[in-house]
Amino acid sequence: MAKLLEINDISLRFAGVRALTEVSFHVGRGELFSIIGPNGAGKTSIVNCISGRYRPQSGRIVFEDRDITRHRPRDRAWLGIGRTFQNLALFHHMSVLDNILVGRHHLLKSNVLTGALYWLTGARREELAQRARVEEIIDFLDLQSVRKAQAGTLPYGLRKRVELARAMAIDPKLILLDEPMAGMNLEEKEDMARYIVDLNSEFGMTVIMIEHDMGVVMDISSRVMVLDFGKKIAEGLPEEVLANSHVKRAYLGEEDDVLTSPDDAPARETAA
Amino acid sequence: MIEALRARIAVHDTLSKLLRQNARDYPGDIALREKDLGIWRNWSWQDYWHRVRDFGLGLHALGIGRGDVVALIGDNRPDWLAGAIAAHSVGALTLGVYRDALEEEVAYLLTYGEVKAVFAEDEEQVDKLLALADRVPSLRHIVYSDPRGMRKYDDARLIPADSLAGKGRELNAREPLLFDSLVDGGRGDDVAILCTTSGTTAHPKLAMLTPSALLNHCVSYLIIDPKDASDEYVSVLPLPWIMEHIYVLGKALLSRMKVNFVEEPDTMMHDFREIAPTFVLFAPRIWESVAADVKSRIMDASWLKRTLYEYGLARGMKAFARGRHSRLADLLVFRALRDRLGFTRLRSAATGGAALGPDTFRFFQAMGVPLRQLYGQTELLGAYTIHTAGDVDMETVGVGMEGVEMRIEQPDANGVGEIVTRHPFMFSGYYKNADETAADMREGWMHTGDAGYFNPAGHLVVIDRIKDLALTARGDRFSPQYIENKLKFSPYIAEAVITGAGRDFLAAMICIRYSILSKWAEKRRISFTTYSDLASRPEVYELLRSEVETVNASLPPAQRIAKFILLYKELDADDGELTRTRKVRRSVVAEKYAGIIDAIYSGRPAIDIDTVIRFQDGTTQRIRTTLPVADLAPPPAPGEGGKPARAA
Repeated sequence: MAKLLEINDISLRFAGVRALTEVSFHVGRGELFSIIGPNGAGKTSIVNCISGRYRPQSGRIVFEDRDITRHRPRDRAWLGIGRTFQNLALFHHMSVLDNILVGRHHLLKSNVLTGALYWLTGARREELAQRARVEEIIDFLDLQSVRKAQAGTLPYGLRKRVELARAMAIDPKLILLDEPMAGMNLEEKEDMARYIVDLNSEFGMTVIMIEHDMGVVMDISSRVMVLDFGKKIAEGLPEEVLANSHVKRAYLGEEDDVLTSPDDAPARETAA
Repeated sequence: MIEALRARIAVHDTLSKLLRQNARDYPGDIALREKDLGIWRNWSWQDYWHRVRDFGLGLHALGIGRGDVVALIGDNRPDWLAGAIAAHSVGALTLGVYRDALEEEVAYLLTYGEVKAVFAEDEEQVDKLLALADRVPSLRHIVYSDPRGMRKYDDARLIPADSLAGKGRELNAREPLLFDSLVDGGRGDDVAILCTTSGTTAHPKLAMLTPSALLNHCVSYLIIDPKDASDEYVSVLPLPWIMEHIYVLGKALLSRMKVNFVEEPDTMMHDFREIAPTFVLFAPRIWESVAADVKSRIMDASWLKRTLYEYGLARGMKAFARGRHSRLADLLVFRALRDRLGFTRLRSAATGGAALGPDTFRFFQAMGVPLRQLYGQTELLGAYTIHTAGDVDMETVGVGMEGVEMRIEQPDANGVGEIVTRHPFMFSGYYKNADETAADMREGWMHTGDAGYFNPAGHLVVIDRIKDLALTARGDRFSPQYIENKLKFSPYIAEAVITGAGRDFLAAMICIRYSILSKWAEKRRISFTTYSDLASRPEVYELLRSEVETVNASLPPAQRIAKFILLYKELDADDGELTRTRKVRRSVVAEKYAGIIDAIYSGRPAIDIDTVIRFQDGTTQRIRTTLPVADLAPPPAPGEGGKPARAA
């Protein structure tokens, strides 16, 4: 599988805290790649490094054979990286439709001046085309009934879906989902899992997902990476990762082996 | 106009011939509209005809022909109609299956009909069909319209609707005269439609309908409720139901009224308002839930709005009761309500299928919705009685349409007996079931199994199913449904089941209306977690007790509810407790809740429940609770009974 994204030895520090230590992995085109790990393991930090909110002190991020380590976030969006946030970041007073349209803002050619001459400058035609694309996404995520509703008035599960819609609206090649199912009930989780699988298989978007629900992760991921204390401790197919003893210890809550210090165990694993 | 229509049917005696003629005479006029990606998209008569032609020839190419059965299952969409008329064009029979039918029901119908091909709208329906695997050996083709989620399947029987149409187009290019000759080969007297009967007890029967009966009965209906090309109809009733056949297949082809399809079931009320149809038929439940929704929104509104609403409504209802019309009420309340509900252009509105609470009836009538009651059966091509404009009596179902003859068989002292009907355009018998046909159709009369009588004005009054009239141990006759309907008019009651046959007194099992009671509870700071929890709160019991007492006050003593309980879950069609048209299946409820019913009659003050309920997604929840039994009054002394109750 062709590589879409390559992460080479990135390290990230906040003052004395080492958030990420020499993490490397790659994601192939069309993959549904999940990152798991305990709280504070550095999962969101990785996503923030990829989307450009954080800049790692060392290491390289390569997207479609282009080094984007020093690109600004908006340039990365332009290249085709979309994301959702762990805590919702919608425009609460805007309608669902407008929130999604924001996702297409970078594709608009009209500016304040040409927009004022709505019918003459093609701004109208442009808006129609963008609306059509947004409607496809609304249809895909079954948001028809709340299209005109104010985003802030919607229940939590629906708002998560609107945020996903906005991320999809930039037509990303790679979409980063930070805990898309947090705080959802079972039914909402099942729906969301369906949408993620479908956007991966039908829209052909490559997905990197952070998720705590192991059932969902093991069910839908093509590959899984496990982080602990900012280090990669395992990577592989879901069943391989599940069988890995270090993962069990670090994440799935098995009793810690007192004889192994937490530092040398992961080192052995990543070296393998 | 009516003579012209009958003459037109004599020439174009099938649905496909009639559609072809419309496409020739009015090629560019709008026939259908569908909301897709947020925009209403028009189908002209020509587009409609072309889709039918492409599907028809596609089916022909797949080897579907005369006498084969084609099933349709899915939401209301233009492709459903096109698929049905296309199947008729090649001589096949169509069988509509309710979209929320369970696997078992689908399996039964498909096997019984020996269905060869199915038009299944989307993945949800295809999942069901593929899960049946080889239980339906006759099934060779599954046509789907929505490709979403279909990638994962690799089943040789699957074919996208657009590919089927593509096959048809190719064939048409090679043999341009073929389709016309297929259509010309159809005859109005050949059975074309298998329509499921509502089946409250066993498996549904399949009534065989001919196009000529369907179209001619539609003309009888058009006489009393005329429609033309300026009329707008929104198709939201289940398409497999006889009445939706009448409206979107029969009446629409005859009168060229436009048929509109909503985007999603969720957006129905919104899309309905955008179209503002000129005619609507809702089941009583829907009318009641619209009225309840209005009330619950008003409960949430600001003090000023609430006050104005209540003042305007009271004024309007008072004027209506005296046969007048309050312009102030119209200005304050009714105009805005009509607009909000999408009723601004309504010229005709109907309810049917069960009794509608008289208060709801009055509410809509006062609002200016020209609501009438209709009554009929699948076997008799749907409705055959209706109120004439200006002669609406909400206790009755009106008078027979043209050519309809009705009599009451074996009437008792009050003239109550079985309703027996005949008219010239009835069904042709049950499919592959001559015994049942002979049992219900005697000497040309259809025995409906409904109990009713004629009132002095000559209107038909329907009480209940004959077999559902019950007798208490004390010898008092009662109609459980009649009392249930009275209860269900309370905004706080979603469903109710009355028991008492062969017992000493009547009791009620009540399902609370969660949407309203949860708000009511919030407002009073009553904390609760789930439906079951709310239903067991003493405050809720107090409220419901007063509702039941109100209903009791309007009943003769022998028919009053002596005890009631609030059930821990809602009755659900998926559990088989309600039919698809949401009527209570008494036998199922009686069996499933036998323990609770026995406990009520054993005189215990409370019933311990420990049960497991199963949700649609397969998960289960254990429920452990204690149901208090509310005791209203001592059972009446023997001989105190009144006359049998009569339903509206």
